[in-house]
Amino acid sequence: MRKIAKTRIDDVLRALASHYDLYVPVEGATTRTSDVTLWQEGLVNASRFRLYEEGLPLYWRTNTGLSPKDLFFPQTEKMYTAVSQNKTVEIYEEPADAKPIILFGVRSCDMASIDCMDRVFLQKGYEDTYYRNRRQRTHIFALGCSTHEDACFCTSMDIDPQAAPAADVQISDLGDAFGFTPQSAKGQQTLAYIDGFLSDAYAATPLPTDPMLINVPLAGVTEKLETMFDHPLWDELSPRCIGCGACTFLCPTCYCFDINHKSPAHTHIVKQRSWDSCMFIDYTCMAGGHNPRPSKTERVRNRFLDKLLYNRQRHGRVFCVGCGRCVAKCPVSLEIATVIQKIQAAEVNP
Amino acid sequence: MFVHKIPTAHIHDPQNTSAGLGNSTAQGYFAANGQPVPAGPNPLLPQRGVIAKIKTETSDTKTFSITGFDGAKPFTPLPGQLGMLSLPAYGEAMFSVTSQDQTHIDMTIKAVGALTNALHEIEEGQECGIRGPYGNGFPLDFCRGKDLTFIAGGIGLAPVRSLIKYCLDNRADFGKLTIVYGARTSDDLVFKEDLFENWPEAENKNLHLTIDREEEAWPGHVGFVPSYVEELALPPTVAIVCGPPIMIKFTLANLEKMGFLPNEVITTMEMRMKCGIGKCGRCNIGSCFVCLDGPVFTLEQLNAMPAEY
Amino acid sequence: MNENVIQVSGKSEISQIMREIARDLLQQKTVSLVIGWEKGILPNKSAPAFITQSHDTDKLVFDEYCYHNLTKYLLQRKGSGLKTAIFVKGCDSRSLVGLVQDNQVPREDICIIGISCPGLMEERNTVIPAKKCETCYTSIPVEYDFLIDCPDTKTGDDEPGGSFAHRELSKVENMTLDQRDTYWQTMFQGCIRCYACRNVCPVCSCKECCFDLTSPDWVGKGNNTSDNSFYHLVRAMHVAGRCVSCGECERVCPINLPVMLLNSKLSLSIEELFDEPPASMNLDDTATLSQFKPEDPEEFM
Repeated sequence: MRKIAKTRIDDVLRALASHYDLYVPVEGATTRTSDVTLWQEGLVNASRFRLYEEGLPLYWRTNTGLSPKDLFFPQTEKMYTAVSQNKTVEIYEEPADAKPIILFGVRSCDMASIDCMDRVFLQKGYEDTYYRNRRQRTHIFALGCSTHEDACFCTSMDIDPQAAPAADVQISDLGDAFGFTPQSAKGQQTLAYIDGFLSDAYAATPLPTDPMLINVPLAGVTEKLETMFDHPLWDELSPRCIGCGACTFLCPTCYCFDINHKSPAHTHIVKQRSWDSCMFIDYTCMAGGHNPRPSKTERVRNRFLDKLLYNRQRHGRVFCVGCGRCVAKCPVSLEIATVIQKIQAAEVNP
Repeated sequence: MFVHKIPTAHIHDPQNTSAGLGNSTAQGYFAANGQPVPAGPNPLLPQRGVIAKIKTETSDTKTFSITGFDGAKPFTPLPGQLGMLSLPAYGEAMFSVTSQDQTHIDMTIKAVGALTNALHEIEEGQECGIRGPYGNGFPLDFCRGKDLTFIAGGIGLAPVRSLIKYCLDNRADFGKLTIVYGARTSDDLVFKEDLFENWPEAENKNLHLTIDREEEAWPGHVGFVPSYVEELALPPTVAIVCGPPIMIKFTLANLEKMGFLPNEVITTMEMRMKCGIGKCGRCNIGSCFVCLDGPVFTLEQLNAMPAEY
Repeated sequence: MNENVIQVSGKSEISQIMREIARDLLQQKTVSLVIGWEKGILPNKSAPAFITQSHDTDKLVFDEYCYHNLTKYLLQRKGSGLKTAIFVKGCDSRSLVGLVQDNQVPREDICIIGISCPGLMEERNTVIPAKKCETCYTSIPVEYDFLIDCPDTKTGDDEPGGSFAHRELSKVENMTLDQRDTYWQTMFQGCIRCYACRNVCPVCSCKECCFDLTSPDWVGKGNNTSDNSFYHLVRAMHVAGRCVSCGECERVCPINLPVMLLNSKLSLSIEELFDEPPASMNLDDTATLSQFKPEDPEEFM
């Protein structure tokens, strides 16, 4: 392991930024009221990954308020342009960007979510071109957690907050320093750019992570859910849901999208895809008006069965990484940790 | 009671048989059925097509013949497979391909929403976006050598017709063909040329037509499709059923009563779709994506899936 | 003294009284559902609770994390003719009055159990009052059938519409035009359009929302500053004159946007223009924008 003092982290970031599009976790506005200066500087009120610029307030404490999924799967993404005039339709593909990207400081939970996204977008029949273009040129520096939010529960999902084996480089929190360990050839390559700033960290031990407040073991949940499609639990849970998309948009493993278009001029159509939410009423509503999931009960049931059962059947893993974002932000606390507890407590007839 | 035991084989993983992660550009894309997808390296990018011919089927249904911009067929679907048709200013939607020739694929479309209404306004020669084929299609190998019963209602004949045509084009490969088709009125019967000219000529077939309510000039049967099926006392064969949800529901129930086997009753599902390639999430029934793992399912498979469609 | 007013000596006693009232109402079949709060998965989380069995009433709690304005849930019972008991804080009671005024909820179907509110806390281990309490105009419910009267009530503001809202707004109003433009653009650009602010709003009572329509699709599905701005401006206009400053929209925003600023601006403008009291303070009033008076200002006509 090689290390650098936390106070000198900007040296490393500056060096990486000269070779890569470097994305770093940036603080959201911390004031409770609308802090005018922060807003004027274009900072939104949630910590998130942003393109590195000198002087940005970096956020190192825990995982970011918004997950890094939008770097591979932007909330709204241009797909192609169509020019439609009289009877003609011409279609122009978006040129793909080629600059390599570094995603710096991804937590273990979010790294696991990237694995989920990979399974969806790169496997099962088709590769998604847009996702692949971004994913393939991205090098990921994972950062181990020495502390956590109240809402964190990655350990319940069998994720080690200190280790993300799928990342190219693992960064460890050594207290006053960050330690770097390459985990892939790509990682080795990127570290070469900053090696001059690093010194050897002999026998350094990362700070341990405090035990988490939420403990919702998954054992048996998927199997139990196989028989719970018609269980009264869903009627019991769904009245609380307000049907917004906060959970799905914050969730780092939610991948549903809509394909739509905007027309800056009537003849000039930009086809784009944008995040969609299975909690929205119109999500499954067909042109003729039929809706296979017409009420909140079906929608709530589908979301949790999808996370905990369907994705395991389809993609081989449960699509929850314990990042805690829905726990922290669901307006009515109908979040996955609570739901797992309810599933475990539910009585099922054999 | 729902018992979630979706057979593993039911969720297709074509990567077991085709290109794996990372080298798909070299080998081409593969749809769920293992068929190569010639839509180019970006499966969501439509190719430029031309709606060369438009035929009015009923007062609200037209058949569109689509060819590629270069005059070649946009893609070659199997019977029952789907294509994504777009008019960029209005949107994109999934339709089943009802038939094809050397240079065209045909889609039969009822005017129900923004895109389909716009399609009904356009003229021949209009260009469009087209991508596909998607979905699994009908199980041809399973049907080969057997007697087949086709049961369709309204616009539901569209997907079924692709298989009927395939059977007629390869007549020796299939046994007796029985077709039961109904619509609300005689005007609503689609593919009239097939119903009244082509199919009656075919060998070893039975063709039964019905409409929901009496009409002056209608010489044929009057009544709903599910009860007509029962009246006809059809002997159990492989059955292909497609139509409005309510018609499917009652027909399937009747077929089961009549001794048709759940693994021999085949139907096609319809869900809202956006991507067609099993990514966008909305067409799921349980852990199956209709666009990729369907739209064709046997009754046995449906019985093992959550009843949410 | 009204027998339906139950005095408690401190806020720690509120939960116990809640349970007793709820149990009686369910046991006597006066109502078939009680909507209140229960404890969530974390100490600083409480959550809406739907209680139908008297033996479940022990779940009910009231603590400093019971932010949720439960009155929106009454719309789920709309048209059912079933009786519902609901717990309301001062701010919540105003939106309930609004729903009754809008004919969304028949007053006689609702048993309102008011709690004179001791104030909510922003987060665990702090003494910072919740932001929504800053715009509070009445800690004592304006309408109730039962009142749990707690002596420690706190009202955030001393004037209608709120001096807090005035302060917040003046920050924006004191900006130059360019600064203000950047301010709003940045805020709208940051919005992720999860619609939590709309869905939680107790006076957003349309059965089908214009933003959910697919044809015509008034607002694009794509996330961009233009569509996002359109959404926020229309949302604020649609609740103008009915917004009770309960602060739910701003509380639930997952990225902490100050979404209530627009609502505050409209509330203050309406008060200035029409010289009416704040919305939904009294069941017998008619909402300002639902009535016409000859002396109404008409420079916009």
